[in-house]
Amino acid sequence: MKKYLLAIVPLLMSGTAYAACSPDYTGVTLKVSTQNGPAIASALQAAGKLWEEKTCGKVEVVEFPFGDLYTKFLTAMSQQTGDFDVIGFVPAWVPDFAPFLSTMPAEIQQGADWEDIHPVYRERLMSWNGEIKSATMDGDMHMLNYRADLFEDAKNKEEFKAKYGYDLAAPKTWKEYLDAAEFFTGAHGAKFGTAEAYKRGGQQFWYFFSHAASYTNNPNYAGSMFFDPETMDAQINNPGWLRALEEYKKALDFNPPGSLNNGSGDVRPLYAGGTVAMNLDWADSGVLGATEGSIKGNVRTAVLPGSTEIWNAKAKAWDKFDTPVASPFLAFGGWQLGVPADGKNQAAAWDFVALTISPAVSGKAIVTANSGVNPYRLSHYSNLENWSSIFTKEEAESYLGAQRASLDSPNVALDLRLPGFNSYTDVLEVELSKALAGEVEPQAALDTIAAEWNKLTDEFGRDSQLAAYRASMGLPALK
Amino acid sequence: MSVGTAPDRVKYLFIWPAFLVVLTVSLFPLIYALIVSFQAVRLVPPVPPRFVGLDNYAQVLGSGRFWGAMWTTTIIVFVSVALQYVIGFTLALVLHHNVPGAALYRVSFLLPMFLAPVGVALIARMIFHPVLGPVNALITGLGFPTVTFLTDPALAISVLILVEVWQWTPFVVLLMLAGLQGLPAEVFEAARVDNIPVLRRFRDITFPMLLPLSTAVVFIRLIEGYKVVDTAFVLTGGGPGTATETLTLYAYYEGFRKFNIGMTSALSFVFLVVVTIAGTLYLVAAQRLARRYR
Repeated sequence: MKKYLLAIVPLLMSGTAYAACSPDYTGVTLKVSTQNGPAIASALQAAGKLWEEKTCGKVEVVEFPFGDLYTKFLTAMSQQTGDFDVIGFVPAWVPDFAPFLSTMPAEIQQGADWEDIHPVYRERLMSWNGEIKSATMDGDMHMLNYRADLFEDAKNKEEFKAKYGYDLAAPKTWKEYLDAAEFFTGAHGAKFGTAEAYKRGGQQFWYFFSHAASYTNNPNYAGSMFFDPETMDAQINNPGWLRALEEYKKALDFNPPGSLNNGSGDVRPLYAGGTVAMNLDWADSGVLGATEGSIKGNVRTAVLPGSTEIWNAKAKAWDKFDTPVASPFLAFGGWQLGVPADGKNQAAAWDFVALTISPAVSGKAIVTANSGVNPYRLSHYSNLENWSSIFTKEEAESYLGAQRASLDSPNVALDLRLPGFNSYTDVLEVELSKALAGEVEPQAALDTIAAEWNKLTDEFGRDSQLAAYRASMGLPALK
Repeated sequence: MSVGTAPDRVKYLFIWPAFLVVLTVSLFPLIYALIVSFQAVRLVPPVPPRFVGLDNYAQVLGSGRFWGAMWTTTIIVFVSVALQYVIGFTLALVLHHNVPGAALYRVSFLLPMFLAPVGVALIARMIFHPVLGPVNALITGLGFPTVTFLTDPALAISVLILVEVWQWTPFVVLLMLAGLQGLPAEVFEAARVDNIPVLRRFRDITFPMLLPLSTAVVFIRLIEGYKVVDTAFVLTGGGPGTATETLTLYAYYEGFRKFNIGMTSALSFVFLVVVTIAGTLYLVAAQRLARRYR
């Protein structure tokens, strides 16, 4: 009897071990690559440990500087080196990467976990030419951050109303934004009104796009913000973009001195440290302000200001609206995971992706310091309890509410996603910098950008660029 | 005669392996880049190589941005190298005369050279930050308005020059000090016995004797200076506008942001010509100066 028992115990133990590997990827090592940590890379490492425990496989996270990612990934995939099993990249690169990425397995594209991803990410950013080529692991958009202690101060409210004739509140239009920025510059509890990024190479163009979306993302002519979706002619020198550039430049008057050299990294501490009353930024400013800044408890977030006038690129006239139309801009769009088609472990790779973006794992990542992961699931926005370690109840409601409202906005504006994205934005950055520095007039700068964009489009192939642009804007192919 | 030529021919066979290694390692990349410079080649989106003759060169030479970058780089290089040489030589003379604590000064003067330029640029960015930096804290503390060091074109170039001088003067100190220590002591002993004043001793003995070394040091710094990229990239990103965009930074943007390989190759060769011309002009001027002291 004793002998039988001794024989059964190891069998039972091996059976337990076998059950723990589900699915069993023993002997499989996944090479997962993204930018240098901690942001995003640390989230992938944490998910990697969980995946190893679950499947008995191994995960090796390979990190590269952000500037090297694009070239490394594209070279590896186009040369079919099989270097990476999973890559973490940004949506703007999807047009260039899509031919080399495998499609997400159908079983991941169903069920409650799938439906839980916000439709803007699920149906628009993760999709390319009707196929799911990537999985969002981080939600990103520009928002307006402001300080409750200043905006809710009774004396400030009174003085603001006396000066501008309307109530002090989170700005609904860019005019209101400039008014509030002016009001708080050098007075009323703040040193400066606002902070935005203006530095070339400091992600400035996304801030400019956030202004421009309000004047150019016309719901009556969908997809016409950057290019005419029928001809692929650049729209960046139209009156909507000009107004955006003039206001973006005007806001410099209410930014701290030397802001022409501020990148997005500088904008955050200026808000969190209490130097400015507002800023435009991704979700990072809110978390920094609530955790490490001097404005704890006073962090408030709102949807980006909108406009009652939007330029219609087809009619070549301003379309007027009774109330301000919000056009929240999904700047950057958040990090995504993709599985290269030349990978040897594609099933295991997609299993890792599914685990990383699962509600349980991602729900933990979004409230982990320095993970770089921001909400993108419906459950992320509704679970206020999850955020209690970072925010007060008011802060969490405002922070999550603004993100959810941005995504739910019927006129949400998607970022530019086009082959040769960097070529387009490089031209933009150079001329934008010149206009901001006063070297050239705004209209002249925009005309130069438009001419260069049209030249690039012709060089890359107008028809193929038009097809890619329409796909990125969720428009059907032209017949 | 024929007996003698056979071994002569054989000896060339032994040279071939070394020649091939040199050809592969150093010349092939240059030749390849030269070929690419006559083609339209883009990595992203991938465009098949197409021969375009001198179009890339015409585009580079016709670009206002190129000439602006050239002017900016030349200003930074010539002003900063001149300052590096004057300050570096002066410090070397001081250290050569064994001032008290010379060993400590020697180490501390050399430290900046060992730092990575990116790190130096980051430190400088913080120091000259308009809101958080100590320089502006001092200026505003004294009641003056904030100085926007990195967003005013002239000031931004001055800061770049200052950073270059701070980091690379130690290189001049190191070499000039080695040169000073290698000079024959008898000559200076004789000058001292003859009661020749210090300044004349420097003008007529030290400077001429170190002229070949000075020529080499300045030449190295000029060539290196033209490659400045990381400092400008971190400090200003080439801005405001394109006011601080250097030639290498311009090439970086073309090559690694736009992946316009054909044009970047052409730009590299134009850059090579510019550096060669600047170097040749400098060497001609240095030779003339050397002749004056012969």
